[in-house]
Amino acid sequence: MSYKLPMGPYHPGLEEPYKLEMICEGETISDAKLHIGFNFRGIEHLAETRNYVQLIALMERVCGICSFIHTFTLCQALEKLTGLEPPPRAQYIRVIMAELERLHSHVLWAGIAAKLMGFKTMFMACFAYREQVMDILQAISGNRVNYSMNRIGGVNRDITDPQAILNMVKGLESAITSELVPVFTTSWTARTRCAGVGILTHDKAISCGVVGPNARASGVAQDLRRAAPYAAYAEMDFDVPVQPDGDVRARLLVRALELLESCRILRQALEKLPAGDFNCGEPKMVFMTGTAISRVEAPRGEVLYSVSWKQNARNPSRVHVRTPTYVNMPAVRWMVQGARVADAPLIQASVDPCYSCTDR
Amino acid sequence: MTETDPLMERLEVGDVASDISGVKWFAAGDLNPRQLAESLQKQGARFVTITAYELPGEEGFCLEYLWDLNGQLLGFSNKVANKAVPSVFDICEAADWIEREIHEEYAIEFTGRTYEPLLLREGDTPGVNLHEVSK
Repeated sequence: MSYKLPMGPYHPGLEEPYKLEMICEGETISDAKLHIGFNFRGIEHLAETRNYVQLIALMERVCGICSFIHTFTLCQALEKLTGLEPPPRAQYIRVIMAELERLHSHVLWAGIAAKLMGFKTMFMACFAYREQVMDILQAISGNRVNYSMNRIGGVNRDITDPQAILNMVKGLESAITSELVPVFTTSWTARTRCAGVGILTHDKAISCGVVGPNARASGVAQDLRRAAPYAAYAEMDFDVPVQPDGDVRARLLVRALELLESCRILRQALEKLPAGDFNCGEPKMVFMTGTAISRVEAPRGEVLYSVSWKQNARNPSRVHVRTPTYVNMPAVRWMVQGARVADAPLIQASVDPCYSCTDR
Repeated sequence: MTETDPLMERLEVGDVASDISGVKWFAAGDLNPRQLAESLQKQGARFVTITAYELPGEEGFCLEYLWDLNGQLLGFSNKVANKAVPSVFDICEAADWIEREIHEEYAIEFTGRTYEPLLLREGDTPGVNLHEVSK
């Protein structure tokens, strides 16, 4: 006999509110429905009532983890509408900040996944590593969460001592390489809880339009940093880790390997940081009439901003944000089918969901 | 097609009307979203999103469909008459949530599909979040 089992909107296994309504046969999940909207804030509508300065501050608050990425994507769209081109140093600083954000997002996710695996020691270790990344972000921007780094035509703050940041990155890379990645890739706990669990097949990943590490863990080799390079990514040498299995372990491996690739990009960007200005100064902002679309590879996958502006208008006429979790979460339905109820919290967490972004 | 574009030559339908800041936009012509979805799906393009715009006056709405083909963003703009447009959900599973969201926010009907609430709760009315509140 089948029964319905709701998980959420408020549940110890969820970091943010959403509802997974599972249909179970005994301990096995046969199907599931997802409900979002518990964090709906109407940010897209609010954006239509803000000028370009306020808009950047507002969109930084779409997500607490990827706050830099959101303003980065927004500013790229606004730069298309104003014709302002950020100087090379600004492009490098954007790459550095984006990769630091990827590091702290992936390490945070690893900690939460460890907690849900019952691997509490690793949870504490991950949060200690994350603190090191937060220290670097704070050293650059002065802030730990909303960095206020982006502006139209560049960034607000320079990296005045790249060598000091490089030394911090090298220390972090050493800890990640020697401790975090080996534990996650070889430990018995991680392997037994994750291998063969929550499988998203390659075909299903494609039909659901899944993005980011979730797609790459199902063998879909897509990464905007490589496929449609922006900022200074075309000048960076890095690999895009791809795993074929589509299970929770594959998602864990992809993110672990991406930590190392992020460190590799950070080293290159800090060593090659070009001299010069880090923004376009204070030019008069003249917006062209039209729509500009910008995409960035966030830690969770592709973020897209579509911004429409009418010339001489104070505010945008439309801002649409398509976040990665928005396209990744529907795939949870397919991941949990056939899984045990006890694995549901880990499976949904393996997507690295962000409902703050999703609900906007 | 005004110039030879190997990427676009692979597509079965539609000409590229314009390339605006990195997005190749299809000319609307006789195309509809379903034809385009079928063709792009066959080519291995990934559905990205739909952006809904309210047009000035009584003009209604415009839906912009975005697809990604090997890193190239492809766009198709479609005016919505009578607040109804054929759904592409049966062709393209990835369009499910965004069609439901647009239905709930703007009360646009995507015909040929059934809905379950996405952002709304029981008793809420579609079309009040962005569209009606701003009036």
